[in-house]
Amino acid sequence: MAQSNTIRILDGNTFVVSEDTGDIEATPSEPTGLFSLDTRFLSRWVLTVNRERLNALSFDDLQYHEARFFLVPGMATHYVDAKLSIIRQRSVGGSFREQLTILNHDEKAVDLEIRMDVASDFADLFQVKDEILNKKGEIYSEVEPDRLRLGYRRGNFKRETVISSSKPARYDSDGFAYTVHLEPNEQWNADIDVETSAVGPGGRDLRMGLRSHGTERLALQHDLEEWIAKAPKVNSEHGRLASTYRRSLIDLAALRFSPLSLGGQTLPAAGLPWFMTMFGRDSILTCLQVLPFAPDLSKTTLRILASLQGTRFDDFRDEDPGRILHEMRYGETAAFEEQPHSPYYGSVDATPLFVVLLDEYERWSGDAALVRELERECRAALKWIDDYADLMGNGYVWYERRNTDTGLENQCWKDSWDSISYRDGRLPGFPRATCEVQGYAYDAKMRAARLAREFWDDPAYGDQLEREAADLKERFNRDWWVADGEYYALALDAEGRQVDTLSSNIGHLLWSGIVDDERAAKVAAHLVGPRLFSGWGVRTLAEGEARYNPIGYHNGTIWPFDNSFIAWGLRRYGFGEEAATIANGILDAATYFNGRLPEAFGGYPRDLTKFPVEYPTACSPQAWSTGTPLLLIRTMLGLEPHEGHLAVDPRLPIGMGRIEVLDIPGRWGRVDAFARGRLDLNKLAD
Amino acid sequence: MVDATTRFFEDLDRRGFEPLLAKTSGTLRFDLHEGAQTTHWLLEIDRGRVQVSRQDREADAVVGTSPGLFEELAAGREHGLASLLRGDMTVMGDARLVVQAERLFPGRPAARGPRRLFQREVR
Repeated sequence: MAQSNTIRILDGNTFVVSEDTGDIEATPSEPTGLFSLDTRFLSRWVLTVNRERLNALSFDDLQYHEARFFLVPGMATHYVDAKLSIIRQRSVGGSFREQLTILNHDEKAVDLEIRMDVASDFADLFQVKDEILNKKGEIYSEVEPDRLRLGYRRGNFKRETVISSSKPARYDSDGFAYTVHLEPNEQWNADIDVETSAVGPGGRDLRMGLRSHGTERLALQHDLEEWIAKAPKVNSEHGRLASTYRRSLIDLAALRFSPLSLGGQTLPAAGLPWFMTMFGRDSILTCLQVLPFAPDLSKTTLRILASLQGTRFDDFRDEDPGRILHEMRYGETAAFEEQPHSPYYGSVDATPLFVVLLDEYERWSGDAALVRELERECRAALKWIDDYADLMGNGYVWYERRNTDTGLENQCWKDSWDSISYRDGRLPGFPRATCEVQGYAYDAKMRAARLAREFWDDPAYGDQLEREAADLKERFNRDWWVADGEYYALALDAEGRQVDTLSSNIGHLLWSGIVDDERAAKVAAHLVGPRLFSGWGVRTLAEGEARYNPIGYHNGTIWPFDNSFIAWGLRRYGFGEEAATIANGILDAATYFNGRLPEAFGGYPRDLTKFPVEYPTACSPQAWSTGTPLLLIRTMLGLEPHEGHLAVDPRLPIGMGRIEVLDIPGRWGRVDAFARGRLDLNKLAD
Repeated sequence: MVDATTRFFEDLDRRGFEPLLAKTSGTLRFDLHEGAQTTHWLLEIDRGRVQVSRQDREADAVVGTSPGLFEELAAGREHGLASLLRGDMTVMGDARLVVQAERLFPGRPAARGPRRLFQREVR
């Protein structure tokens, strides 16, 4: 979907995807359009001058919320003669605005018929890749003297697109037009405004004027500058790290999303543009990655997820009391319960990770008030782990969807249908328990034990959690260790058998601390060994497994976010060189993507392809790929809150040169960290 | 027999304190419209303490819907947030109050919940 010739701008979950001319002609294979609230509000937006289509000379992606297109009439073969220039400058911020500028370079006057063809199919985001044949509601258009109103009505569900212009235009049901006379060197402008609305029967918009940040262009620009000014500065001897960091910071700003129910506070959405919504897992993991740089995101994420924590049993939404949501959507399919995302709770890891984030956030920020505020939700999350996730009654966290129609089969981060397989490629039945989730549950209990003692005044609960965690760790190390391979199984099946493939998931176990000390070296060796490590990063599935495929979505590609947590885990167990090896590989890869790491790239050996082969995906930037360089900086510098101050213990590869991170915020105020590359990673490979 | 709507509000009033609203304060009015007639239910929430009355008073958030839909919501047969997205329920004012109060509605009566394959004592 993210063809290189599509241009995207956005603000919150309003975004425009168009061709490089600025035109929109949506088809199932080219899902362009103006989208808001998970609904397409424009599926056709085609500019012509004297009935001729326009051709792109160039475009500028000015900011994430604005773009500019330079166009001339006619096709590529004869535009050299063009006597007209057309500039479309557009931005989103509340509404979608496009300024048309037409310049006459001819020595004679010209008469122009300027027309925009307009239509909307009001497709739900879930339907944009389908042929939309039978919408259940009615699409209408109303031509008014000064505006064109396109609408969709299904019962009380109503979405409208209202188009108006600063210059008088002639509106008809398929668009609007201007007749313009231009003298030599004269120019003409018009400002077109496209308002999207989600109106209820009372005439109130569902969004009620809530915005993530100011809606005006200047306010957005100001907000971005403030965001960058507030974040720590990263300087590096080699410019690439500093520029990757800056790219990530800007993308992170674009990914901020303000849910309807939270009065304008923001959390990181999962990815641009198709996943500009709340995701439990993605938002939490991104917050963990960026904590040293943008701690405020954690606070709002925790609050939002807490405010929507499950309270009842709902089989359609896979909701249980205490469960943290997976995904929230606002479109027609969610509204009419054709999809369960209102919100959907089918994630097995978001709940323990919620507890992990709260503790990690407090360790950095010292925000004891939030830990007290969320005590009830934390306890409910921990109770969910014990009471509702243990489907086999044997003390592990399992998943099996109750919504067998539209729910998710795999409720761990590797959520594609074939991501969990035995060595021989067979897929286990349900329920399934994947290894990394047991690690998260262990970590959640250990961290909650600290919170219980220090903030909830409940040392007995702390003791209980620690006992349970110790018990889990002991059983886990007994039941999941694959003796003949010397690593932890990817999962257990319902019969208690090991799903015995070697996978990247074992790196998350190091991060969680569930790995027995004497086994950590084996796990670390696998992670940087030839079956898992490609030279760029750790593959999701090891070479040699039946389902291994270097471009298999969860079966062999390399996921930058996955690697950042693996590097963190390696450092936790004292494997600084191995962590630096992974950090180095991923940051090298980032330079091939201009500092914007993709969701995943191919697992081919580095010495075979010489460059990382991008996996074609829908979303870029992706939040947890954006957060990856930030977590890798933390990992390489060994930044760790320690007894109220920030400890720095760098392990940098030699080629990394000198790195400084200035003004790291936390309970210590703001401090700087410096590091110099000293590790010879080539030695490691010997 | 009392309808589910009345039972929902009376139960809430009787409980006096609702932990799910412990971080919530404000007034929330439900206007149930049927023809020319509107039934009002007012929740006064003060950090979890809830008082229910039938007053038609100004509130921080006002929810509008039909008595029929509310009855389904109170019985767990319809879903609050989906109803909001659909436009079958409308909100004026502070949406956060509504999102918090929505969690008080029961789950579907037929919901199975997580199924434990091997039973053990529930602690």
